[in-house]
Amino acid sequence: MTKYEATIGIEVHVEVKTKSKFFSSSENGYGKNANASCTVVDLGYPGTLPTINEEVINQGIRAVHLTHCKLTKKMHFDRKNYFYPDNPKNYQITQNRTPIGREGYLEIKTSLGLKKIEIEEMHLEEDTCKSAHRGTVSLLDFNRAGVPLIEIVSKPCMHTKEEAVLYLEKLRETFFYGEISDCKIEEGSMRCDANVSIAPIGSKTLGTKCEIKNIGSIHNVGIAIEKEIERQTTLLEKGETLKEETRRFDDKIGDTILMRMKETGNDYRYFPEPDIPMITLSQEQITKAISLLPMTPDERRRQYQEKGMKELSIEKILANKALSDYLNRFLSTPLNFVIAANLLLGDISSYLNKNFLSLEKTKLTDEKFLDLVKKLEVGELSNKNVKDILEEILEKDSSIETIMKENHIQNITDVSFVEEVIQKVLDQNQESVKDYHQGKDRALKYLMGQVMKEAKGTINPKIANEKLKEMLQNQ
Amino acid sequence: MKKLSVEEVKHVAHLARIAISEEEIEKYQVRLGALYEMIDQIHEIKGYNDDMMITPFDEEPSLRKDEVGPMLSFEEVLLNAPRKNGKFIEVPVVVNE
Repeated sequence: MTKYEATIGIEVHVEVKTKSKFFSSSENGYGKNANASCTVVDLGYPGTLPTINEEVINQGIRAVHLTHCKLTKKMHFDRKNYFYPDNPKNYQITQNRTPIGREGYLEIKTSLGLKKIEIEEMHLEEDTCKSAHRGTVSLLDFNRAGVPLIEIVSKPCMHTKEEAVLYLEKLRETFFYGEISDCKIEEGSMRCDANVSIAPIGSKTLGTKCEIKNIGSIHNVGIAIEKEIERQTTLLEKGETLKEETRRFDDKIGDTILMRMKETGNDYRYFPEPDIPMITLSQEQITKAISLLPMTPDERRRQYQEKGMKELSIEKILANKALSDYLNRFLSTPLNFVIAANLLLGDISSYLNKNFLSLEKTKLTDEKFLDLVKKLEVGELSNKNVKDILEEILEKDSSIETIMKENHIQNITDVSFVEEVIQKVLDQNQESVKDYHQGKDRALKYLMGQVMKEAKGTINPKIANEKLKEMLQNQ
Repeated sequence: MKKLSVEEVKHVAHLARIAISEEEIEKYQVRLGALYEMIDQIHEIKGYNDDMMITPFDEEPSLRKDEVGPMLSFEEVLLNAPRKNGKFIEVPVVVNE
């Protein structure tokens, strides 16, 4: 694309993490049998009344805070009226006039530098039931009906697929780390729609926009946007006019396909929900909700960096919240974060993955972990030692000291023991000592191998190597 | 008396997903017109604003604690469903594709 510039706006729905639904006390859970978590409120029975789940409002306050939006302290709900089998009461309770948050942003790191992606508004609403289409019928499951949602509407301020993908990743990370939502696209707890239009570069007006619905992964959002820009460019270059339409991304063909032409505008006839009085947020509720937020990913990045961790390692830790939460327990301790992160990402993760376990399910106490990292740091344990005894560390209640003793690795930094082993090896390998003095590098490697073999791997290789060189000089 | 246009009646019928005959259109042009007139009267109230529509009281809603309460069994959920299919409620397909 040369003559045109794309403009992209993104709407995201996330399911809010709570125990119960928004307006009823049925369970807000995923993966249950169909129609197993409903009440008459979720089914839209006449005469039932919604009651607001306090935690949804609190989660909304947190979401507003994390996205730097302005909080609407006095708000109400509206009815969005439409006929569709996914919502038998024929309206969705949402926020039209008083969205809980307005005018915020998330900052992304693009290849061209930092960019603020502006958020137009964020509102609370209820989810509809899930319908699966089977030929001439649709099957309805009301477990999802009434699940609390937050819809986040960005301004049309993105211009490339890279920006869109980075924004979505940032949003997902922010909400996931804020424990506002699981943000699992594959389970539907995060859903993305993208509005794409193109216009000649420098044009003051936006082109005709096309909406791409329900894209199944952030990666596919990137592909869908790219394909849509291509499609619109081709049409404009052929001299055709674009029509407003709704498309969906088909991941089998890797392209967007037409769902429907936009009608003359949706006639949702919003009006205030009369069953829910106006809500005024107290400063106490706001402060309390925000105070319960876990540390943000950006703050974690900053603190890990201060602890000497490298960017790659930081990002790998952040990709696994359980590991990051675990590391955070040691922020005020003298733990060496670099070694700790390597250990967590390497041997410990392999063990956990292999055994389908989480760290809490192992016998690794905070004290043991501190001790383990310390011993690695000072050389009392080598990486190889750790590999050998890790299973025992994670599976036994015993201390690191005890496990080391049981595995005969208690002497490894004992210099006199190291010297004793080296002397024995040198005495038995006089030929190699000669070779070494004649400048044959291989001889050192060979001797080192013999030293480790003699010590059955129980001595610190770094100390042994230094000592070996020193003792060779005196031979 | 206010009378709606044929198009307006058809539009309302479409939004409500109701099929209506030509005779009915004529009838509703008048009936819905009367209804619209009544609604318009609300706007004549002095000092009316939308906040009053939300709640005429200063009362705050009592927020519910986030706790799971009793739920219906799936048999109960399906009790009033015109058709069922396993544990699902079955309805005619309505897809915008």
